[in-house]
Amino acid sequence: MFPLVSLSLFMPLLGAAVILAMPRARAPMVHALGIGTATLTLAGTLWMWVRGVQADGFSQVEQIDWMPAIGASYRVGVDGISLPLVLLTAALFLLTLIYSVRVRERPHAYVVLMLLLETASLGVFLALDALLFYVFFEVSLVSMYFLIAGWGHEDRQRAALMFFLYTLLGSLPLLLAILAFYLGAEVSTFDMRAWIAQPPLSGSAAMWALAAMLFTFAVKTPVFPFHTWLPAAHVQAPAAGSVVLAGVMLKFGTYGLIRFALQMTPEAMRAAAWVVMVVGVLSALYGAFVALAQTDLKRLVAYTSVNHMGYIIVGVAAAALAADPALRTLALDGSVLQMVSHGLVTGALFFLVGSLQERANTREMERFGGLLQQVPRLGWFFILAAFASLGLPGLAHFPAEFQIFLATLGVAPAAAVVVLGIVVTAGLYLRAIGKVFLGPLPAQWERMPDLGTRELLVLTPLTLLIVALGVAPAWVLQVIHRTTSTLSF
Amino acid sequence: MNPLAWVTLIPLAGALSIGLLNRAPAVLALLSVAAGLAASVWLLVAVAAGAAPELTLPGLPAMPLRLGGEPLQALLSLVVAGVAFFVVLYAVGYSRDDPQRSRFFSILCFFIAAMQALVLAADWLLLLAAWELIGLSSYLLIGFWYQRPGVAAAANRAFLYTRSADMGLYLAAFALILASGSSEIATSLQHAGAAAPFVGLMLLLAAMGKSAQTPLHDWLQRAMAGPTPVSALLHSATLVAAGAILLIRSAPLLPDEILLLVALVGGVTTVVTGLIALAETDLKRLLAASTSSQYGLMLIAVGAGAPVAALLHLIAHAAIKSALFLAAGVFQHSRESTEFKALRGVGRERKATYGGFALAALALAGIPPLSGYFSKDAVIAATLVSPHPGLLGGLALAGTLLTGAYMARALRLLWRGEARPHRLAGLVWMGSGLAGLVLFAATLKLYFSAIESLLESVPPESTLASVMGLGAALSGLLLGGWLGGKRLSGPLWRWARQGFAISGGMTHWVVHPALGLARRCQRLEDLLYATVLAIGRMGLLVGRVTRCGDEGVIDRLILALAHASRTLGVRLRGLHSGLVHRELALTTAAGALMLGVLAALGWWVGPGAAP
Repeated sequence: MFPLVSLSLFMPLLGAAVILAMPRARAPMVHALGIGTATLTLAGTLWMWVRGVQADGFSQVEQIDWMPAIGASYRVGVDGISLPLVLLTAALFLLTLIYSVRVRERPHAYVVLMLLLETASLGVFLALDALLFYVFFEVSLVSMYFLIAGWGHEDRQRAALMFFLYTLLGSLPLLLAILAFYLGAEVSTFDMRAWIAQPPLSGSAAMWALAAMLFTFAVKTPVFPFHTWLPAAHVQAPAAGSVVLAGVMLKFGTYGLIRFALQMTPEAMRAAAWVVMVVGVLSALYGAFVALAQTDLKRLVAYTSVNHMGYIIVGVAAAALAADPALRTLALDGSVLQMVSHGLVTGALFFLVGSLQERANTREMERFGGLLQQVPRLGWFFILAAFASLGLPGLAHFPAEFQIFLATLGVAPAAAVVVLGIVVTAGLYLRAIGKVFLGPLPAQWERMPDLGTRELLVLTPLTLLIVALGVAPAWVLQVIHRTTSTLSF
Repeated sequence: MNPLAWVTLIPLAGALSIGLLNRAPAVLALLSVAAGLAASVWLLVAVAAGAAPELTLPGLPAMPLRLGGEPLQALLSLVVAGVAFFVVLYAVGYSRDDPQRSRFFSILCFFIAAMQALVLAADWLLLLAAWELIGLSSYLLIGFWYQRPGVAAAANRAFLYTRSADMGLYLAAFALILASGSSEIATSLQHAGAAAPFVGLMLLLAAMGKSAQTPLHDWLQRAMAGPTPVSALLHSATLVAAGAILLIRSAPLLPDEILLLVALVGGVTTVVTGLIALAETDLKRLLAASTSSQYGLMLIAVGAGAPVAALLHLIAHAAIKSALFLAAGVFQHSRESTEFKALRGVGRERKATYGGFALAALALAGIPPLSGYFSKDAVIAATLVSPHPGLLGGLALAGTLLTGAYMARALRLLWRGEARPHRLAGLVWMGSGLAGLVLFAATLKLYFSAIESLLESVPPESTLASVMGLGAALSGLLLGGWLGGKRLSGPLWRWARQGFAISGGMTHWVVHPALGLARRCQRLEDLLYATVLAIGRMGLLVGRVTRCGDEGVIDRLILALAHASRTLGVRLRGLHSGLVHRELALTTAAGALMLGVLAALGWWVGPGAAP
């Protein structure tokens, strides 16, 4: 069989190698190579999408022995939970590279790091071997560290270090949990499929492993109170870094929560689901309220990520708690869809904030006003993305949040208080729109240029996807649903 | 092809084509509303002939989007399309000189599409979606002149008020879907079971937000910052109607205690907002307050167990209030203001418009044979046969009296003063839109019996109600025309001027606490950040202490050792002089020493070593 999955996975790495082999190439050439590679990768993942997933287990699996002595192999494949995320990753990276063509500062290193990050990110979603997963998980961290440290804003060194230490320390418990699974399994293997089919741990061992994984994923997602690295990293990261960080890398946490915590320690997860639910609700509401207090537009968007990722946590907890399989499927459908929606919407918002910062050199909302008349394209794109983020029907977040809330109310009526979050996000986005885009235009911004071709090339497809996902979520949901409706745990 | 699809898709296509083409917006908008109206007529005719069209679209798994053509829905669709047609006709003239016409008509058409989806929705998912989308369109339309100060705040307020109340609709829909296992509205309403009281309460909350009922009424008056055709369409006949429509549709589900609550909310609203209208100094804001007041009457009817009476009043009010707003828009263009102060005598210079306004005002007050008389009659009659005739009847009559009073006051204020005749551009378009609506406002009664037979439901009738209603309307008109607002509302005047806000209203009770909580969260956030940094610093400190240990003790030891060896080496070097005789002497001495030592060792070790 044609190794489509592996080819898509390592295509960016190949591109990176080509760029490294041409140290004298000029910046436009380097960027063109990066974009070409990302396009090929996207084409590969689209083809994977066309191939589709089967109802049960993983599809399109490719496998090569790696360290047979310890049962670690190179194993990749997709199911309905990972495939949409793979597609999201490939799409966002392509857009990010297009957006970044203006980077003239060490373009080689920039594009190479981006491509390395792309392979790592794809690998996290594609890996079916726990060791492989962990390797990709860590490699992504390193690339992001260098992106923030090398191309970030004023205080980037500290933010990058904080990001690195936080998530590095955060991921160590996951390694322990993986080793525990390995030791607990009857057959010595790192095959995640085997662990999912037959959870290796039970009783208190499973609970300890779960606690370790929950910590890792709570840092990565991030969940209150382990989220403080997020705004720091976002504010300092370059726009493209923010997009990848929020759009793709936060999903590692929630993807891991489903793939590892829910699927490999189902009993323990069910027992601990109440805690997860409470943390999720708290995180979602807290994120919304802190976002309401921000005056920096980028920090505001960063905190709404805490809010939206909180809904995913709530959805996964509801799935773990649900006795009725229909409700469980509903909750998982919503959670996975929310990951995709959040990637698209927050990606768009960070691109827009980045464009605004490029023009104004500030992100303080108080300093803007009336920009809609000066930069109508930027303004309308922002308004649309903001309304998507506050959960307006017809845009990407609504179907996901509808499902999550519905399932949550069915499983734990008290947790439905989380619905309040969508009022608060509405309030904060309207305030932001009002401050930045409505009202009279300060003379200072009378020469601000509107979005150019490069930005339109990025934002138009993103916006179309946001609308497509909102109006007709079925094209993604049917893939997700095929897997979630057959999950048994 | 299904008429349901045309009814919603035509305005949507209009909105998209205007937005994309950015050309000939007025023509495109007129075309699309006219075609939409034709589709609605087609739908109603088909439904009246016994058809029950349905349309299912893919939505979420196991929850498709459904459009339905029940008689009530088909009827409401026609009302929406009809009002929309006349308003757009009017807006062609009204917006003549606006450079942002495309945006205006595009959003207007989008709103119409969303409203059609709302009335035709047969499942909760689509209803919720449409419900929020009309909220979005009203936000965009209220904020149309976004450069003006204060407009953004008004738009924000409208969206936030309704969205907060929308939580009720979300929770009600969730509870119904979970209780009945179906997202279809009709099915789920029949199988609500024990969830009914909760659902009823939540639906009421949602309706209170959208229909601007007390205490959520003040967004509507502020929403008048938008262009006047917007007020005519959204804030009288359609957006605000969504709340009442929701309650009318779900009325069979509501238990008795919730029905009473609905009626009481409506009753309080009709009186409170009636008094506000009486004290208002701005024509459009008066009309907005009156809208809340009239929807209060509809809620009374729903609560009294006669949703069909509420529906009749909704339809009559839709035509009447749109007509009033359109006339107000003409006055506004004449004097560039909607303040009564600026509008004094405007009626004399726009006599035809004033005539239309007066006719609609009398219809709203409930003077026969105009439509409002009959619909209000039905509401009052419904209260008399309800379980609480005294209470609800009293509130309904008070509302009627106030309606007469504030309309008479408006008529008086617009007429008294001097005319300043001048030409007005676009008056033909505006006039024809207005005329059409006034015609309907006056003559809708002719269709009431057809509506009743279509819905197979007859509102209660009573002569007593007719007499009392007419009496209240006439006395209201006389009092308002004679005494004016200030003397009539007496001690309540000042409070009514502030919109009956209880110590600062929503801003004080909701917005400030929310922002306070946000600030407190931010402080916690700073604390968390500082803690993490402190932990990081502690790590660094530990590192530094370790380093000091390394450098101070171990390193120094090793260095000392190295130093000592070097010194030793330097000292020993002195011995290596290269002078043969000295070397020889040293060697001999050392050899003798070694031999001696060895001999001594051998002697000492030897005996012990022997077995």
